[in-house]
Amino acid sequence: MTEERNQRIDSALSSIVEAILPVNPGEDDEIADERHEAALERARAIIKSHGQPSIVPDVQHISDMIKKRLVRDNKTPEPALKFSTLYTRLLNQRVLSQKWAILYLLHELSDSPKARPSTSAAGIRDDAFPEAGIVETRRIGSAGEHAFSEAFSYMGLHRLPGRDSGRGPGTGGLAGGDLGSQWNSFGQSKGDSAMKTKAELLAENYEDTEPTEQALLSSLPFTLLGLSSSHLPFTTSSVSAPPSGRDISTTQKYAISIPPTLPLPLVSLLHTLAEPSLLYRSLNEFVQSSSEGGTDGGLVGQSLKSAIGIELRGYINLVGGLENEIRRAVAAAETTIGVRTAGVTLKRCVVWTREATMGLRLMSLIVEQTSDKKGGQLISTIHSFASSHGDPFVHAFAERLLSHVTRPFYDMLRHWIYDGELTDPYLEFFVIEQPNLPDVGGNKGGASSVWEDKYTIHSPQVPTIMTESFAKKVFLIGKSLNFIRHGCSDSEWVESYSKSTSKELGYGDTARLEMSIDEAYKTTMARLIELMGSKFKLFDHLRALKKYLLLGQGDFIALLMEGLSASLERPANTLYRHNLTAQLEHAIRGSNAQFDSPDVLRRLDARMLELSHGEIGWDVFTLEYKIDAPVDVVVTPYGSRQYLKVFNFLWRVKRVEFALGSSWRRFMAGARGVLKAVEDLVGADWKKARCVVAEMVHFVNQLQYYILFEVIESSWDTLQTAISKPEATLDDLIEAHAKYLQHITHKGLLGSTSSRSSGKGKKAGTDGDDTFMTQLHEILKIMLAYKDAVDGLYGYSVAEYTRRQERGQRIETRTKKGEWGIREADEEGETAGRGSNPEDMMLPSLRQRLKTLSGDFQARVVVLLGDLAYQSDMDMRLLGVLLSFNEYYPVVNKRRARGERERRNTPRTQPGVKPKTRDGSTGESATGSGVQEGE
Amino acid sequence: MPREIISIQAGQCGNAVGSSFWQTLCQEHGISPDGNLEAVEEGTDRKDVFFYQSDDTRYIPRAILLDLEPRVIHGIQTGPYKNIYNPENFHVPKHGSGAGNNWAAGFSAGETVYEEVMEMIEREADGSDSLEGFMLLHSIAGGTGSGLGSFLLERLNDRFPKKIIQTYSVFPDTQSVGDVVVQPYNSILAMRRLTENADSVVVLDNGALTRIAADRLHVQQPSFAQTNQLVSTVMSASTTTLRYPGYMHNDLVGIIASLIPTPRCHFLMTSYTPFTSDIVDQAKTVRKTTVLDVMRRLLQPKNRMVMTNTTKNSCYISILNIIQGEADPTDVHKSLLRIRERRLATFIPWGPASIQVALTKKSPHMPMSHRVSGLMLANHTSIATLFKRILGQYDRLRKRNAFLEQYKKEPIFANDLGEFDEARATVADLIAEYEAAESADYLNPPPEKGAEQS
Repeated sequence: MTEERNQRIDSALSSIVEAILPVNPGEDDEIADERHEAALERARAIIKSHGQPSIVPDVQHISDMIKKRLVRDNKTPEPALKFSTLYTRLLNQRVLSQKWAILYLLHELSDSPKARPSTSAAGIRDDAFPEAGIVETRRIGSAGEHAFSEAFSYMGLHRLPGRDSGRGPGTGGLAGGDLGSQWNSFGQSKGDSAMKTKAELLAENYEDTEPTEQALLSSLPFTLLGLSSSHLPFTTSSVSAPPSGRDISTTQKYAISIPPTLPLPLVSLLHTLAEPSLLYRSLNEFVQSSSEGGTDGGLVGQSLKSAIGIELRGYINLVGGLENEIRRAVAAAETTIGVRTAGVTLKRCVVWTREATMGLRLMSLIVEQTSDKKGGQLISTIHSFASSHGDPFVHAFAERLLSHVTRPFYDMLRHWIYDGELTDPYLEFFVIEQPNLPDVGGNKGGASSVWEDKYTIHSPQVPTIMTESFAKKVFLIGKSLNFIRHGCSDSEWVESYSKSTSKELGYGDTARLEMSIDEAYKTTMARLIELMGSKFKLFDHLRALKKYLLLGQGDFIALLMEGLSASLERPANTLYRHNLTAQLEHAIRGSNAQFDSPDVLRRLDARMLELSHGEIGWDVFTLEYKIDAPVDVVVTPYGSRQYLKVFNFLWRVKRVEFALGSSWRRFMAGARGVLKAVEDLVGADWKKARCVVAEMVHFVNQLQYYILFEVIESSWDTLQTAISKPEATLDDLIEAHAKYLQHITHKGLLGSTSSRSSGKGKKAGTDGDDTFMTQLHEILKIMLAYKDAVDGLYGYSVAEYTRRQERGQRIETRTKKGEWGIREADEEGETAGRGSNPEDMMLPSLRQRLKTLSGDFQARVVVLLGDLAYQSDMDMRLLGVLLSFNEYYPVVNKRRARGERERRNTPRTQPGVKPKTRDGSTGESATGSGVQEGE
Repeated sequence: MPREIISIQAGQCGNAVGSSFWQTLCQEHGISPDGNLEAVEEGTDRKDVFFYQSDDTRYIPRAILLDLEPRVIHGIQTGPYKNIYNPENFHVPKHGSGAGNNWAAGFSAGETVYEEVMEMIEREADGSDSLEGFMLLHSIAGGTGSGLGSFLLERLNDRFPKKIIQTYSVFPDTQSVGDVVVQPYNSILAMRRLTENADSVVVLDNGALTRIAADRLHVQQPSFAQTNQLVSTVMSASTTTLRYPGYMHNDLVGIIASLIPTPRCHFLMTSYTPFTSDIVDQAKTVRKTTVLDVMRRLLQPKNRMVMTNTTKNSCYISILNIIQGEADPTDVHKSLLRIRERRLATFIPWGPASIQVALTKKSPHMPMSHRVSGLMLANHTSIATLFKRILGQYDRLRKRNAFLEQYKKEPIFANDLGEFDEARATVADLIAEYEAAESADYLNPPPEKGAEQS
């Protein structure tokens, strides 16, 4: 039968050749025959080379294919129906035995003029087909194609311009076009028998691989999804992994074993393809781990996982599309053409998956880098990809991830800046709540610690998507809101505020975010300051502190001092608190303090410091101004202590002024009467004493002026300007107030040590005189002692005065009686009494004491001035200037002053004071005048 | 406890100045001419130092008005502020002819009115919680202010030995011949009491007042009203720290203790700047007032309300500048340094002295066209030159025994004129004291030293 058939073919061929071959008129027959023969031979060869058709000669099958084609190519089903009827009639034809062949031919012919001219030249091996085993996937519908392209577009991988055209099913077409052009060129140069197509060459040189590419292709989708397949099994042990080292390094856990039988190029292709699959597998595991309740990554971590999950879904879609493509290709191959012609090869798969691979690589990089991070840091890490990566793909990809990942962060942010609540179960936000804090307002430092310590900003957690100052603003807003709500118990405002202003925040819209934050910042700050000012009367309290503790309310202080002076002279343990408070009440009622608000006055309290043995009332009395939450945020407990310290110092100075004043009043008024009478005896003493008192009054007044006006008032002005700024925040207030107090204590000589402390090395430990504070205390003490001595002098003068009066009276009465005014006995008694009478011993000792004290005082002032002159602070130098405005006190260089003081200190405890002090004092005044004249 | 001050105004001049003073105080405290508050604003000022409240809450000055002739007091009683005074506090004889510019007459009249006046003073003193002292307003040239004033100083001294007595004493113009020929007599006699029986005397030199008024107002002969306004401005400024309590100088002792080191040197001179139309009618405006400007002007002799001849030795014993208005402490600071640098003020060589500064609030009720105003209270040794001039004039009169007849009629000079000599000696001592205070060895005068030490 085959013989017959061959003959038929031969005859058909020769007739075709005869018909086609042109006849050359001038040609002789032999040559013509030869040519005919050659052409025939070639035709035969072509037919032979074509060999067997590549698919099973099943009539039913080919008819289906044609039908499908018709359905696909035409919009209406009519042609297909027509074909069906024609087909039935064909089957009924008994004459035709090769029905399949006919149909197949027709089918192929219908194909060829279109996009697949390569079919006739195809050299794809027929035997690849049965092994592919994808018979069931012949239906590659338009729906499948659509899904395929969708998969890509979902991934967004082909958003990049210039790549779209070469994507998806079109790729195959394009590749086919290339081949077509080759075919054309082949057709044109048909005469060149020696030329072969590339495909032919490939086909000829093709060595069969085990497993075949087809097999690999079909199992590729599984591999890409991280599933083991027979050809490409996964091994979980990294030890036994084949040398695809890079993959292992990324995944560490998995490896794909590539059949060793494959040729090297394929192995390398498979390596490339193995990367996404391994990445996918580990990423998938990462994502899965989160859904099983792993919370260690926190909310942001979870959202990262979910974002990655979405990306992976895109990848799965891609793989699905790829699989479809592969199956369609296989199905196409089924219909006589090879898989390769359908355009799906391993290489192409590599190309298609490239972008997905990059995505996966990036994700796994992110996962790796963020494994130990959370919250803001995590966002920062991703943001660093988005902001500082040159690759636009990476940039876009990271941005996309960020928009997902930052969602919980922005939720927290919203809660924070609109509600003032920290909703951060996994400590991811850059604001951290101190966990173990006492309850609000619980202890004394309640509010201040709520403000200062309850929340802290944790700068490593500040995501790089916001600047540091921005974060600080955010922090302040939330803190203020929280403080308003809890510290100031004004949650209503916070609620209404959050209701009215709260808006959704999201990544990307930086301008709007910044705007709304600025707005929130302004509103909350203004509200907080307003609350502090109006509801909690912060400014009133500050003013009250200045008025009462810093002696601003002079009449009140004077009254209080006058009322208390008698009882404060007594030992401290005889003081009763009710007495103090009664005097306080009295002073308030008697002075302009009575016009202050009751709330302020309620806080004012007079009490005693802790007693220690032997102290008198002056030492332990203190005035106190109670500050409670939330004002103590500004006036901290530390600040209150500072106030007390300043008060105690000022009170002491005031006390000296008061004492000197009352003494002055006594001897000035006395000068009009009693003292005038005894001028002959104590006139010179009084003159000196008065001048020393004047010196002391001068000192005290200048000291007070300096502290009250130069220090307190000017600091107060600074404070006022700082806190009345419209954009002041609570932090600004706190800082301004702290600075205010610091100024007062520093410039008010309370905190700073004198300049000699720089040379502390040699003599620091010898005495505690180094601070101005102690120096001033010493000076004040001397003043008080001097005042007592002057009072003693006054007492002596008055006693003398009475004695004289008595004597005068005695003389008068005797004279009246007609006796001698003065008897000898009287004279004797007086002279005798002068020796033993303690009254008479008093005057010299009083004189001595006055002299010692005044010398002491002057020497100490000189030392103090010496120290002040070397102060770096201008204001403190001014005090020196004020105290010695007319350059009365000599300018001493430091070392000498110190030496002098040492010299003076030593003898002071011993009785032999006299000569040295006199030397000191006269020497000083001499120097003083010398200076005066010299200039 | 307001540390009340009772003011006593004696004689024509005293009453005229006093009524101007009370008018100023009322304006500063927002008290209307009938004694009611114009604006209720509590907590900044202390009205009760100079006023007390009657049952119907009107504010009444703690003032006692004395004169021996009814003209000026009558003027007050019919003037705009007639209702503000306590009617019981006037003492004026119905048909008094005055003291006839005779110190002795005034002094003698004191004896006759003593009971009545003391009763007024006692009543006022009892009405105060803690009386700080008295303020006497008078002139020393005439008869009533000088003589009756001297009498009262002596008696107050006995009656209230522990109270501060401050006087605002108008001294006669010593540069030109005054309208009262015997004013050197009166002055010397009054000055003895001022020296011995007062704690602080604010000297207001009529000559200087006229000059300043003329200078400020460009009027050749300023009216009494205008000079009185100058005086009342000084008085109200010097009491601002009492009436607007601040950190310091809240009582009289606080002020004068820093000014007066020794009992006799208690004659204070004043300067005030700027005098603007807010204070004195028709005053020309000062364009710029900074703290430095004010403090510098206060030190200028031409602004002093005392005509003195400053020698190169004369110096300040003490200075207190009361600065009102928006004075920044740092400006004061700078001004002090500048003054020191330029040596604009010379101080005593025997003790520390400096310009003390009191910054006070200004009254909210008085509009001020200038930012800062200042008053200087100073204890300056050159005031002795004023006394010297008076002494010289006295000596010239006394040498001729001129105009003594009127004095001899009065009891105090009935026996002899010893009172004149004592008074002269006191004033001479005072001058000597001031001169001694100019030298460095004031505290340890060389000749006395040995005797004192023994």
